Amino acid sequence: MALYVYSIATEGHPRRLDGLKGVGARPAPLRSVTAGPLSAVVSDISEEIRPKRRDLLVHQEVQERLMADGPVLPLQFGYIASDDDAVREVLDTNADGYLAALERLDGCAEYHLRVAQEDEEPLLRQILEDSPEARELNERIRAGDPDPQLPLALGELVAREVEARQESLAAGLVQALLPFAREHVVHPPTGSDFLNLSLLVPQEQKEDLLTAQANLVREIGGGVALRLAGPLPPYSFV
Amino acid sequence: MTMVPQGGSAIARGGGGNTSSLYDVLELILDRGLVIDVFVRISVVGIELIKIDARIVVASVDTYLRFAEACNRLDLEAGRNAPAQLPDVVGKMVEGGARGKSKGALSGAVEAVTDSLTGKKPREEEPEEVEEEEAPRRRRPARRPVRREKE
Repeated sequence: MALYVYSIATEGHPRRLDGLKGVGARPAPLRSVTAGPLSAVVSDISEEIRPKRRDLLVHQEVQERLMADGPVLPLQFGYIASDDDAVREVLDTNADGYLAALERLDGCAEYHLRVAQEDEEPLLRQILEDSPEARELNERIRAGDPDPQLPLALGELVAREVEARQESLAAGLVQALLPFAREHVVHPPTGSDFLNLSLLVPQEQKEDLLTAQANLVREIGGGVALRLAGPLPPYSFV
Repeated sequence: MTMVPQGGSAIARGGGGNTSSLYDVLELILDRGLVIDVFVRISVVGIELIKIDARIVVASVDTYLRFAEACNRLDLEAGRNAPAQLPDVVGKMVEGGARGKSKGALSGAVEAVTDSLTGKKPREEEPEEVEEEEAPRRRRPARRPVRREKE
């Protein structure tokens, strides 16, 4: 029977999963498949899965429950093994790598930060204040100069400034938060974000990270919004 | 060592007391995590809310015109209270910031942050900066460049 695979942990991990059900329209209970020093957390699936948002949340909930009791390697959402043997074979074949990763992640959680320019006005205001060139272009347009090149020139200048300032702010934020992380990954930002940062944070650094982040939120201002999620399973570090 | 058990899911709690969205975390679950090639991945195309936006492009005519219009609309006399001025921020961060060893890194970062807000190098004549001069000035972080993608 096919299995949905959630997570890999050591065989000694308590894997307390009572009350949780698996993915799918008719969810099966969670169980473990063990090979040597490693166990995978799985649930049986009898039909073709048409994943729903709910299933993503189930996947996440299993990881969170497990990470409360020790390190786990969270799988990416959506992986199906053909049967128990296929899982055992994977655990056997990659045992050394998985054990090393579990050791590396022990006592740590992922914190995920995204930063966006939520309100552009303070930034544009500041750019106009700092750049006489931008100010002059802006004033000519406002005074009714019909030259169609003016808005393009102003816009390009401002866009360049916006980008440079956001890049510099992003680099500063990474630098500010790095001391609290054992590892970090900067991902390409999406949407209106200009920073997408994952930190692997040891438990004993967590409070310091949150304090630093709260200070940054308070002090940065300027229409910049920080969104921090965590503690999360270490998706970005497996 | 073990993690402190969490009260409810990080998604439900919205992370570290902040405004992280479900969307942000879903992207991690879908896009990161351990990949095991010999397993089959079910199609995730059907899940709503899975569209992950490409970064908004800054260098385009549309954006230029939008920025120009936004600037034209600003009432420049009105709000001069905009972003915090850097030296203030630096001072506060250093005293209020994280404790101990993180201090140096924090003030360095705040300096970079400040530069980015004001768009200039810190002004040397600012008296508030004196305390900073005690330590060698940390300039822009030279470590890992921030990766960005432009379409």
